[in-house]
Amino acid sequence: MKAFSKQTLNINRLAAPQSAIRNPQSIAAGLCLLWFLASIPFTPGLTSSNNISNIFSNLLPLLIVATGQTIVLITGGIDLSATSVMALTSVMGALVMSGDQGLLGGSAWAVPAGIAAMLVAGALIGWLNGAAITRLGMPPFIVTLTTMMFFSGLAIWLTKSKTIYNLPPAFNAIGKGSLFFIPYALLVTALLVVAAHVLLSRSLAGRWLYACGHNARAAEISGVPVGWTLTLAYVCSGVCAAVAAVLYTGRLETGSPVLGQRLLLDVIGAAVIGGASLFGGRGKIVWTMYGVLFLTLIDNTLNLAGQSHFTMMMVKGGVILLAALLDVLRRRGQ
Amino acid sequence: MKRWIVLVLLLSLCLSLSCNQNSGLKQMTIGVSFETLQTEYWVAGFEAIKSELKKRDIAMLEAIADGDANRQLEQVNNFIARGVDGIIAVPKDAKTIIPMIKAANAANIPIVLYNRPADKTDAKSVAVVADNPGITKATVEYMCEQAKKSGKKYKALLLMGDLGDINAIGRRDGFEAAVKGYSDIIEVVARVPTEWNQEKALAGTTNALQAHPDINFIFTSSDFLFPSIISALKNAGKYKKIGEDGHVLMGGFDGDATAYQMLKDGYLDADGVQNVYFESEAAVQAVLDLKAGKTVTDVIRDPGFVIHQGNLNEMSAKMWGAQVKK
Repeated sequence: MKAFSKQTLNINRLAAPQSAIRNPQSIAAGLCLLWFLASIPFTPGLTSSNNISNIFSNLLPLLIVATGQTIVLITGGIDLSATSVMALTSVMGALVMSGDQGLLGGSAWAVPAGIAAMLVAGALIGWLNGAAITRLGMPPFIVTLTTMMFFSGLAIWLTKSKTIYNLPPAFNAIGKGSLFFIPYALLVTALLVVAAHVLLSRSLAGRWLYACGHNARAAEISGVPVGWTLTLAYVCSGVCAAVAAVLYTGRLETGSPVLGQRLLLDVIGAAVIGGASLFGGRGKIVWTMYGVLFLTLIDNTLNLAGQSHFTMMMVKGGVILLAALLDVLRRRGQ
Repeated sequence: MKRWIVLVLLLSLCLSLSCNQNSGLKQMTIGVSFETLQTEYWVAGFEAIKSELKKRDIAMLEAIADGDANRQLEQVNNFIARGVDGIIAVPKDAKTIIPMIKAANAANIPIVLYNRPADKTDAKSVAVVADNPGITKATVEYMCEQAKKSGKKYKALLLMGDLGDINAIGRRDGFEAAVKGYSDIIEVVARVPTEWNQEKALAGTTNALQAHPDINFIFTSSDFLFPSIISALKNAGKYKKIGEDGHVLMGGFDGDATAYQMLKDGYLDADGVQNVYFESEAAVQAVLDLKAGKTVTDVIRDPGFVIHQGNLNEMSAKMWGAQVKK
């Protein structure tokens, strides 16, 4: 009887935090709203139309790369190579398109060929990651860590550490131009995010992705093609990183071998803050959108409030740590 | 949850109303964006700008891009959205800064580049830069004169920076121009491309000393590489004071605290010093002049100076590394 009471007490203790943490979407959305509102008095210009547009322009490429990462996290994996895919595809595209030294510099085919090269390279690296994990049975952490090192090195070697300038104006416009007041970047992001949302929530492949994340062995016994599904997740991540590279490179008008080198924490952090589980089987694109918005808001508000770089790093690190803690608590509650 | 949101909303409205009431006393604000604060030189520059702005009662918004050009672009866009009166930026590189200059131009906000100029562009900015070739040439010429006085032959090692950085190119050119006049006594046997990376500097110096154990003349394009050089020299048993047998003639560029200490301890022969105080004052003044509609030259040069064993006491007051050390 005594033991039963103790157990009941423990369950009751867990019940309150569980109810508070069970809904990642409301937590992430609430955090964004609270942070935004609480920042208004201390952050001059935060609510100006220029700044709101600036916040959205800053979050779009990050949302794309975090979308790919979310798909991988749902399968229980991790893609540490996403930022090196961005760097490599940025210089590959630039090497094709640049008016100074590009293979097709000045040609009408430069932009489509450059973008195609970037997307194909992203997909191939994703496939390579997926194949190493599923066919060779290697852990995702070590596979993507080593491909991150390899492809970052390759990007630097290809360019001898130099940035590549003089990209076609039509390409740069993708990063910062607009069509009838709607930025191209927004159109590209919306298209990709909706496609990813449909993949996860409305397709059989989406259900397979979640099943692999929950329990790969059980999924395999149930007839899910686990190898194919995991490879698909890494290919999606590679393609998303390449699309993000298109936007970042266009915005900077420069192919850079160190593009996104310091972005990995933001990418994984945004997905985790949004509620994607580091243990797999949980995550939604809408949740990740809130995670990305929250990290972008932290950058923007602390920057406008004149806070130091070190403060920003500590706040972001703390928030991501709390999100990871929530993830652990959710898992314990399951 | 709903009660929380309503509470925060009400609180925010009250606070923002009180802030708006004070907004009539708008203080001039300048956004300062540094690519990195990883070396002493950048920290000293950042602090010098901060104190210069404080002296003039100008508010400062700071942003450090942590080596990421995209982050720097976002931070500069944040400054523009905030409606700052001017921007001082240390670019990640000469090319990626161009879209940021264009954005500042479009918003009619003056932008001044500190220590690194932009590549050729139609976009309008002012750059405050050290006379890299001139200061390096003067420093290396002093070293060459010392070499000549000794009556010995010298094998030289040059540590270059990132050759995508115009400052690194200027320093390399200054070195080459100086040693050209002393080709009878100085032979350059190794040129190490460090890409402003201490690990590469250590590996490159170690390799060069193994391939050419008789190297006795070293110039580094930045003082922050001295710890790597000292480590390699110690491993080779060649780290000796001036006047000791086997001393390697050494020179550097920047004027940091390590170089000052090496000069004081008698290990370093000469150092080209960038005048951080001149550069920060010139950068702030340029923003104010541009804001006032005055014409400012596209490039403001810091003439710098050479500090060496002969003028150490006299010039150390002007050397920023000596002030940091205090």
